[in-house]
Amino acid sequence: MLTYIPKRIGQGLLTVFLTVSVVFVLIRMAPGDPAAAYAGPLATTEQLAAVREQFGLDRPVWEQYLIFIQQLFTGQLGMSYSFQAPAFEVVLERLPYTLTLATASIVLAAIVAIPLGVWMANRANTGKELGANMLTIAGQSMPDFWTGIMLLSLFAVVIPVFPASGFATWDGLVLPTITIAILQIALVSRMVRREMSNNLALPYLTVARSRGIAERVLTWRYAMGTAAIPVFTALGTRFAAMLNGVVVVEVVFAWPGVGSLIVRALETRDYPLIQAAVVVTSLLAIAVQLLIDLAYPLLDPRVRLGKAASA
Amino acid sequence: MKTQTLTPPRGDSATTGPLLSVENLCVELMTASGIVRAVDGVSFEIGRGETVTIIGESGSGKSTTAMGLLKLLPRDLAVVSGDVSITGVDVLADRRAIRKVRGRTVALIPQDPMTALSPVLTVGSQLCEAILVAGRAGSKAEARDRAEELLRKVHIRDPEAQLRKFPHQLSGGMLQRVLIAAALAGEPDLLIADEPTSALDVTVQAGILDLLLEIQEANGTGILMITHDIGVARLVSDRIHVMKNGRFVESGDAVDVVENPRETYTQHLLDSVPRLGAWDESAAPKEG
Repeated sequence: MLTYIPKRIGQGLLTVFLTVSVVFVLIRMAPGDPAAAYAGPLATTEQLAAVREQFGLDRPVWEQYLIFIQQLFTGQLGMSYSFQAPAFEVVLERLPYTLTLATASIVLAAIVAIPLGVWMANRANTGKELGANMLTIAGQSMPDFWTGIMLLSLFAVVIPVFPASGFATWDGLVLPTITIAILQIALVSRMVRREMSNNLALPYLTVARSRGIAERVLTWRYAMGTAAIPVFTALGTRFAAMLNGVVVVEVVFAWPGVGSLIVRALETRDYPLIQAAVVVTSLLAIAVQLLIDLAYPLLDPRVRLGKAASA
Repeated sequence: MKTQTLTPPRGDSATTGPLLSVENLCVELMTASGIVRAVDGVSFEIGRGETVTIIGESGSGKSTTAMGLLKLLPRDLAVVSGDVSITGVDVLADRRAIRKVRGRTVALIPQDPMTALSPVLTVGSQLCEAILVAGRAGSKAEARDRAEELLRKVHIRDPEAQLRKFPHQLSGGMLQRVLIAAALAGEPDLLIADEPTSALDVTVQAGILDLLLEIQEANGTGILMITHDIGVARLVSDRIHVMKNGRFVESGDAVDVVENPRETYTQHLLDSVPRLGAWDESAAPKEG
């Protein structure tokens, strides 16, 4: 454990560094000019040159990269062109919104998907299960922008119970959360179903049943006891992925999170902001992944190392 | 000891009739290649303190018989018919009846102890649960005491420490003892042992069989032994049924079947054992 955590943190930092380096090069290879985006369509050649010089874009890419690395190690991520504020702070300001949305979505997904998956596993190969299965396939197949727009037009326009956009009040959280959760529920419930069906056929389930243990206990304590491990991992990984910004849904609902910020940064070719967003979100995703791995021994006694001598 | 009462009062049918009475049991399994009649009309009885063995090769239907009469086969894949009465309770006629007897009057000792316990729950929590479900303890603390007592009864040393362990921390022989303890949790009249030693080392096997006989002697328990090992069958059985393709091809007293087999199939089973009669109770090593 003492070498494991530093090693994992080191690997994580290396991953972040490589990711942001690739992004750094790719955004400069992509068409579009940050100076033109900043100065506007009416800018003269001289004005554009002045902007380029101000942002340091007149230097060769390798020189820009060295400056960027230097900034990275001093904890600076440059000034955002469009916000005229430190890019890091701009990203941090948006982060709580994405965190809120991601947490709400994953909690909703877990609350619905786990019982649904268990329900399907207990009714394997019946008509009811087939129906539920078709629903999950539908949920998996609907693109989130479409689901989002449908929910918007239904519950914000036709029956205006929820706000259409933004996060002024807590009920603004409802529609984007449902939009994201639908896909997660579809994926996770199918996984729970598969894991539970496998586990319900395991010998120890049969042996426990022979002791007269109730089906409800067999399902939740015995079958779920081992199914919880991969399910927890899947939920954690999905949560980590959402921290990179739930881009499409954030744009559809004008959610002031990191996802919509990245879209705006890309539109304005705001290089420092894009880089800062990548650094912050990938750091977070890696931290969450590490926490999941560290939580593993809590769920599975077989991977608890160095505890209680084995016979 | 309270747990060693010979005949707990369970009504007339339980005390006078056989512990297990099976008549014309048929099990049909749905397989990819169609419906297979895995058990084809077998009948037998087990009385108090008796051991009856079903012996046969793998695929003969012996385990399916055991699982079928406990109704432990998957409901959507197996159709069980016939008459099975466990201590007077007809378990095939009424779908709910089996739940009243499982863990209380009949218990299963499984084939492979390594896969018979949940890997994420401690031995103690699974054993205590069995005790509580069988209604043999009023509180968790009481169940804990009872679990220790049961482990001592199956000759596990330092039971308190073993209860805190997870299954992967115990050896196969130890796990089988734990599983026997779990089977004894409800003080059953009948034990169904489905190849209880086939997954264990030879040196451990004898210890487990000794233990089963010891329990039988103390409690008057009936045992249905499923095995493919004629050595095991000869050591423990009062009666032996030889099974082939879902039917009993030969039945009789253990000594008769082993000494004077009538069927060539039985002879074949006898011949397939290299060291017949190697089971010597006095020489059986005790497992540590």
